[in-house]
Amino acid sequence: MKAIRLASKILKTLTKDRMHYPERLIVDTLSVLARFGVLITLYSYVFKINGGVINNTTFVVAAWSMFFYFSFMILGLRNISKVIMHDVRTGNVEVLFSKPISYIFYRFWWQIGLGLYSFVVITIVGGLTLYLAIGFPSTFASSIFLFTVPFVFLGGVILSLILYGIVGLLAFWIQDINPVFWIVDKAVMILGGSYLPVALFPLIMYKIALYSPFGASQFLTHSVYESWQGNWYELFSIQFFWIIILGFTLYFMFRGAKKKVSVNGG
Amino acid sequence: MKEIKFALYAIKKNIQNSAELKTSFLMNVFGMAINNTAFIIIWVFFVKTVGVINGWTASDIIGLLGFQAICFGIVLSIGDGLRRLPDLVSSGSFDRFLLSPKNLLVRIATSSFGPSAVGDTIFGIICLIFYGILIHATLYQILLIIFLIIVTTIIFLSLVIIIYSTSFLFTDSDQVTTGIFNFFLTPSLFNGGAFHGLMKFIFTFIVPSLLVGAIPVEIVRDISIRKILLISALTVFWFFLSIKIFNKCVKKYESSNFMTFGN
Repeated sequence: MKAIRLASKILKTLTKDRMHYPERLIVDTLSVLARFGVLITLYSYVFKINGGVINNTTFVVAAWSMFFYFSFMILGLRNISKVIMHDVRTGNVEVLFSKPISYIFYRFWWQIGLGLYSFVVITIVGGLTLYLAIGFPSTFASSIFLFTVPFVFLGGVILSLILYGIVGLLAFWIQDINPVFWIVDKAVMILGGSYLPVALFPLIMYKIALYSPFGASQFLTHSVYESWQGNWYELFSIQFFWIIILGFTLYFMFRGAKKKVSVNGG
Repeated sequence: MKEIKFALYAIKKNIQNSAELKTSFLMNVFGMAINNTAFIIIWVFFVKTVGVINGWTASDIIGLLGFQAICFGIVLSIGDGLRRLPDLVSSGSFDRFLLSPKNLLVRIATSSFGPSAVGDTIFGIICLIFYGILIHATLYQILLIIFLIIVTTIIFLSLVIIIYSTSFLFTDSDQVTTGIFNFFLTPSLFNGGAFHGLMKFIFTFIVPSLLVGAIPVEIVRDISIRKILLISALTVFWFFLSIKIFNKCVKKYESSNFMTFGN
């Protein structure tokens, strides 16, 4: 009960804060415009000169798959790595450890709260704009899609937080986690279907995307394809598998990290 | 001359400073170089799947990433201080730069060194070497590549100065400058074949992202004198505009006077 109260308090406070200072919304909108806006123009042209279909995928499906990726990215869950590193470097972690809350869960909720407002606004406005521009793919009308999307989204959020949380916790052992962060982040970017939609992946890359935690954290982008109707339970299982494995890794790393903290006072 | 001497001295000291933390320095350099290969993977697979677009082959994309990484690396390694402007302005630490008898812009730019950007520079050099080999570059094209590295670096520097000068205009400028910077940077990493018509005009003249990647590759590939003259003229234009904007924006600065004396 206490944990739920803390979570809702964090989310409420941060959402109010973001509404009061709209700069972040402007930044996120610019970022989506620069990345997704240019990409969508590129792909509309690419599909046009290829006769409208590439690898049995139409432009509408590819566009929505990429939109799901960029919309998910607005949540900014990956920044948890840097926040944890900052806490460790500045000694803030000592203060947070002394509070009667779980540090990791506090940081998880904080990260979600920071991006929630921009995510909701940009996803609704961006989704509507995209719908008016190109329409919906036929898969959106299927009951499987409607039923599974919230769960695969939730799984993606949990897996992303765990994955980037692990990278962040490395700060207790190595001084600068940035190089590790870059590599993990780029693996998620490539295998998640950002600049190249998953349907256009070569077979070997598709397999890596399917069975690695980096690709599994972005299975939301798979949900718009026809193939999702037949393999959603397989992808769910893979995502669940990585949540369990990496969840335990995070738990044991966090236990080890606690022992590494040295209180310097001051 | 005095300013250049000072800048070189500051850069030397900054490099020595960063190199002291050897492991962290090397990890940053090589981590960034590996990180950048992600874009090569993406665009090479893109070309493999959808084919050549507007004459843009995989080797052209390697050239594009080379130009982009090299100018990014040079500017944000030795001029990393510019990226700290939002923080300096909001914390009041900017006061100490105003009190310095050196050139303000040079003093700010060289106040910090970005070790990870060295990785970008190395990556950029490797890409351009590969690009030269792949296109069987002639001596004229090699000289052109060297000239274009200088030109794109000046354009990139000018844009960084303009973007971070906006730190003086907003209260919470860190996020705004990051957003504008990404808006400029992201299209420069995209396949140049994607830009045509109005899009090409916008990203060449209004948001000049293509000037630091796609246009230089097209110049080397097609050896177009008209484009060389255009990019040279735009370089001069953006450079002087950036200095003007910076000087104008600095006047907006109000000392927050936290009594920290720049600490």
